[in-house]
Amino acid sequence: MALAVVSLSLLFFFREHPRVVGIQQSAIDAVAITTGVVLAPLEAWDRMVAAMDSRRDLQEEVLRLQQENRVLKGQSQRLAALLSENARYKALLRSAQLIDDELIAAQITAVSPDPARHIVVIDKGVLDGVREGQPMLGEEGLMGQVILSGERNSRAVLITDSAHALPVQVNRSGLRAIAEGSGMIDRLLIRHLPAKADIRVGDLLVTSGLGGRFPNGYPVARVIEVVISEGEAFALVTAEPISALDRGRYVLVLQRTVGSGAES
Amino acid sequence: MEQARSSWVIYLSLSCALIFMLLPFPLEWRIFRPDIATLTLFYWVLALPHRVGVTTAFFLGLGQDLIEGSPLGLSSLGLMVSVLVLLANYQRIRQFDGFQQSLMILVLLMLCSGSEQWLRNGIEMPGLPWLGLVGLLCSMGCWLIVREILRSLRRYYEVN
Repeated sequence: MALAVVSLSLLFFFREHPRVVGIQQSAIDAVAITTGVVLAPLEAWDRMVAAMDSRRDLQEEVLRLQQENRVLKGQSQRLAALLSENARYKALLRSAQLIDDELIAAQITAVSPDPARHIVVIDKGVLDGVREGQPMLGEEGLMGQVILSGERNSRAVLITDSAHALPVQVNRSGLRAIAEGSGMIDRLLIRHLPAKADIRVGDLLVTSGLGGRFPNGYPVARVIEVVISEGEAFALVTAEPISALDRGRYVLVLQRTVGSGAES
Repeated sequence: MEQARSSWVIYLSLSCALIFMLLPFPLEWRIFRPDIATLTLFYWVLALPHRVGVTTAFFLGLGQDLIEGSPLGLSSLGLMVSVLVLLANYQRIRQFDGFQQSLMILVLLMLCSGSEQWLRNGIEMPGLPWLGLVGLLCSMGCWLIVREILRSLRRYYEVN
């Protein structure tokens, strides 16, 4: 009986208590270490198989990567020029602050066993600069955000989690909306757009920067279906996330540092 | 002194069952993962009701919550309720044959995840999809296997 009261009060009153959160934070690290130990034999096997890949394959891979790297470097040169140009414009507009994005590379190490949630564990924590609320990017677009960080590991929620919603903008028309997670790994929903809103199949949704949690301009999803039913006030828009949320292990955590360069 | 004999087997098996939750499962298939930890707990309650009870259920639930990253206490209450039912009826359930017992376990699992669902609504967390019932069936299917393994462990180490 007493224990039932304890668990209910833990749930309803002490969920946000610093000590409870502290326990959960250290549990992230403990669980990650245990997972590492349990999975060590599997990892070793994978590495052995990888080592048996023929030399020629590896050489080809290196060549391909070098080429890709050259192309990307070229592109990033242009980006640097654009960034400084942008900074100058912002300075002209006397914009208050210049936001610089810094990226922390991380790896997804586990998926939470709770089937109702889309929560993953990544291998970077407070010691690496990962904090609660930082956005997580995949190769192509936004993946989610960090919800709790331990010392060396963090937990992040994906944008498709049914408790998650983020402010987006249609890239073509500038229309703002809220993209909600659907609980399915390849679907996002926009529920409250007027039936006459300017949104079409194929439109790219990017973060709008409203709310201040996600910086603007990162690609999120592509619209795959717009349902306008007679008599309904709102259109139901379905979108597919740009990054494959259930594939790939490598992610980037966006760390925002506020520069002061634009003040002058 | 006799009370403490070989109790490490109980706790070791419960920890192993928790570790089973850590094994990687494809994201979309997680729902079919059998809940070995709960089954292990049910077995020990059924076999040794004087040793394993509501307190163990509470701490096992906390462990599950820490691993899942859900709010602490979410799994505890459901486990405690179903263990309470099990404690009240263990003599009857012991007499059942395998199939009947599996059905009884299914009912207990539904009670457990039903109370969890209720709590999820209470704290406005997304609830389990209906497909979750299939997951319970998978757990039920594992009951006889879990029971046989744990029974042989119990006999070998003479846990009582």
